[in-house]
Amino acid sequence: MRPSEGIWWLARGLLPVWLLLFTLIPMMMVLVVSVLTRDETRFIDPVVTLENYQRLLDPVYLRVFIDSVTMAGLSTLACLCLAYPFAYLLSRATQAWRPVLLTLVIVPFWTNSLVRIYAIRSLLAAKGALNSVLLAQGWINEPVRLLYTGWAVGLGLIYVLLPFMILPLYSSFEKLDRRLIEAAADLGAGRWAIFRHVILPLTAPGIVAGCLLVFLPALGLFYVTDILGGAHNLMIGALLKDQFLEARDWPFGSAASLIMILLLFVLLGIYRLTQRLAGSGQMDDV
Amino acid sequence: MSRLGVLYLWGVFAFLYLPMAVLLAYSFNESAYGLSWDRLGFEWYWRLLDDPLLIEATLNSVAVAVLSASLATMVGTAGAVGLHLYDFRRAALFRALLMITLMSPEIVMGVSLLVLFLALRVPLGFGSLLLAHLTFCLPFVTVTVLSRLRDFDQRLIDAALDLGASEVQAIVHVVLPLALPAIAAGWLLSFTLSLDDVVVSFFVTGPDFEVLPLRIYSMVRMGVKPEVNALAALLFGVSLGLVVMSQRLLGRRV
Amino acid sequence: MKLRLLCLLLLMIPVEHAWSEELRFFNWSDYLPVEVLEQFTHETGIRVRYSTYDSNEAMYAKLKLLGGKGYDLIVPSTYFVDRMRKEGLLHALDRSELPNFRYLDGRHLDKAFDPGNRYSVPYLWGTTGITLNRRQFDPDQVKAWADLWRSEFRRRLLLSNDLREVFHIGLRVLGYSGNSTDQEQIRQAYEKLRSLMPNVRVFNSDAPLMLYVTGEVDAGMSWSGNAFRAQLEVPDFVYVYPREGCSLWMDNLAIPVGAENRQGALRMINFLLRPDIARLIAEKTRYASPNAEAVRQLPAEIRNNSVMYPPPEALSGAEYSLDIGEAITVYAKYWERLKAGE
Repeated sequence: MRPSEGIWWLARGLLPVWLLLFTLIPMMMVLVVSVLTRDETRFIDPVVTLENYQRLLDPVYLRVFIDSVTMAGLSTLACLCLAYPFAYLLSRATQAWRPVLLTLVIVPFWTNSLVRIYAIRSLLAAKGALNSVLLAQGWINEPVRLLYTGWAVGLGLIYVLLPFMILPLYSSFEKLDRRLIEAAADLGAGRWAIFRHVILPLTAPGIVAGCLLVFLPALGLFYVTDILGGAHNLMIGALLKDQFLEARDWPFGSAASLIMILLLFVLLGIYRLTQRLAGSGQMDDV
Repeated sequence: MSRLGVLYLWGVFAFLYLPMAVLLAYSFNESAYGLSWDRLGFEWYWRLLDDPLLIEATLNSVAVAVLSASLATMVGTAGAVGLHLYDFRRAALFRALLMITLMSPEIVMGVSLLVLFLALRVPLGFGSLLLAHLTFCLPFVTVTVLSRLRDFDQRLIDAALDLGASEVQAIVHVVLPLALPAIAAGWLLSFTLSLDDVVVSFFVTGPDFEVLPLRIYSMVRMGVKPEVNALAALLFGVSLGLVVMSQRLLGRRV
Repeated sequence: MKLRLLCLLLLMIPVEHAWSEELRFFNWSDYLPVEVLEQFTHETGIRVRYSTYDSNEAMYAKLKLLGGKGYDLIVPSTYFVDRMRKEGLLHALDRSELPNFRYLDGRHLDKAFDPGNRYSVPYLWGTTGITLNRRQFDPDQVKAWADLWRSEFRRRLLLSNDLREVFHIGLRVLGYSGNSTDQEQIRQAYEKLRSLMPNVRVFNSDAPLMLYVTGEVDAGMSWSGNAFRAQLEVPDFVYVYPREGCSLWMDNLAIPVGAENRQGALRMINFLLRPDIARLIAEKTRYASPNAEAVRQLPAEIRNNSVMYPPPEALSGAEYSLDIGEAITVYAKYWERLKAGE
């Protein structure tokens, strides 16, 4: 083997090895830690126990999970409803407009999300822009308390994650073969039928990809709940952060993380399924 | 496109841009709580330059971003080319791993890397941060390059090989130049992701290496400081610049 | 390649900082005027890398995560000084390097949590009580912690993100000590606090002053200095010393055992003990200073302000938080549940 071939062999092998070392193995370590016990001084005591999982089944934590999943789910749904028509319209834009419009979509996507959350907070604050406008117009007498509520968190999540839903959907719509729609129309199908039987199934991978890219992060973006949420908006992300960095209960935190990892795998499985059903074998570009 | 369609399109754009536009406006308002609009100027922008910790955090972030983007681009491109050209026995596992890393929520990655670093006694600071950023940048580069390679005309490589080029030469002189826009786009994407990362950095950085997003997080939590408006406006401008650059590179493709 | 060169250049930036002497100071947020740091750097040439935390637990966790290293100067409360010195996490202070120690008020020295002040030096002290906006709530109706349970406060209250202080409320309302180690008492306090939760809008120790001043919350727990500063911005704020007893606390400067710049830390401590500096800190933060000379130099209206310096009747029933040893894990479990539950 010539030296350049040797380097090449090494170079292309680096990626899978890296992913193995820094994705798979850490996840397995989290699994291992989740069945150990907490230690006050050394973080982890190598005593195996299922107590952490039992604690997760406690109604208090189950409630946190259900609330988190509900909040993330609703935000995802809202993003989907907003983004689906938007992505469709985007894909139908003329060639002249399209690059500009795409740029306009990607810019918020690439802007620092903390800054965007800060913008939402400024907007919703008691002395913020929204209240100032409402007060000035005389529509309210006192500032509306919008911050530190579930609504603020939901809005924040939607605002930050909307571009993540738009882009995969747009990608799906772009790949849509218009001739299929025309063929269906020629065969006599009405608009609703075309939507249900042609467009929806073909955009399904995009929908699932978008949901994946919104739902899981929505559970984990603790800075959104930190900045916009109140005492009653604890989500899994904040719980994990607290467990690892304040309460120092790593085994319990790991057990909670594992639930998220499981969710990840389940959703990825669904994604693969929709991909196969839709007929494309490609990975989506993000 | 129908009027309704156009209206809806611009409506969503308004939703995406309005909060940022408000921040931008406030960044030029020099009065104390932004309550009156009589004084306008660049006051808060100058204040930013006066904050040495902020400057340092920015430089740190840029350094990590450039390094992770560059390294990720090299490793990711090599990996993508390898995945595309060869039929690994375990290609399916490789792709699965790629997807998992790509779709993994940042908090899971932050937590699992923290556990890894503590177990391996890796000190938390620049090193741990770089490793973590590299990890989440890699799949993005790989996927970007891979999707470009898929549109690739295999006959070009075959032609090169027929003409006597070795595999490596074919890759270096044929594949890479044609994939260059995607590689560059991958670099830019990684750079942005690294610069923007909050969650993973929160878990794996140390007190000696402050990064910009965490500094912003701290500033935002501490209160309403008008300098943050100016900072926000600047970051927004930077994103705009990067996106335009990236779009140019990729031509018509997303 | 130009890019590689750029990378190498940028890599050198983290190294460059090692040249000028640095001090890593980890303090409570909103607890030190930035002018003090600037003046320190100006006088000594030592760069201060300043970061903040919002609770003792967060500071402790961070320190543990970094193996006791990472910071040169920290500011734990009394019960954490007690706990940390017992765990060997603090460095003994070299008193010969602290000539300004003599300015401290003897009443705050040589306490049980740190006999002889071998490991810590008092920084600021204060109380935790109730603050409320007179425009929204009638201050004559709110005289005790128990009053916070009233339905008019639904979703209006701010509570500190502080495990001991919040449980202090729960325990005192039931007539128990805030330092109880009795499992049953703690459990009862938890149940009592649970019933307060519908009134809680937000837990915040990062920047509660901001929340009060911007009108996001109008009532709740407050540290004395914050309450005083809130009054300066919005005169409608009133500070109440609850009947059951407020919380007394004191924060102290200490050096972690893994500190890299011990000398720098000692110089900072000595600097902060200088009467003019201590006075500036007290003025800006509006917390009570343990520095007798600094207090003497304060303007009369601040020195005599009842929010900053509680009158004796206000302190009836007041309690310091003490180290409760192993019982903290019981508190911690309930605290988590409290923050997670409805």
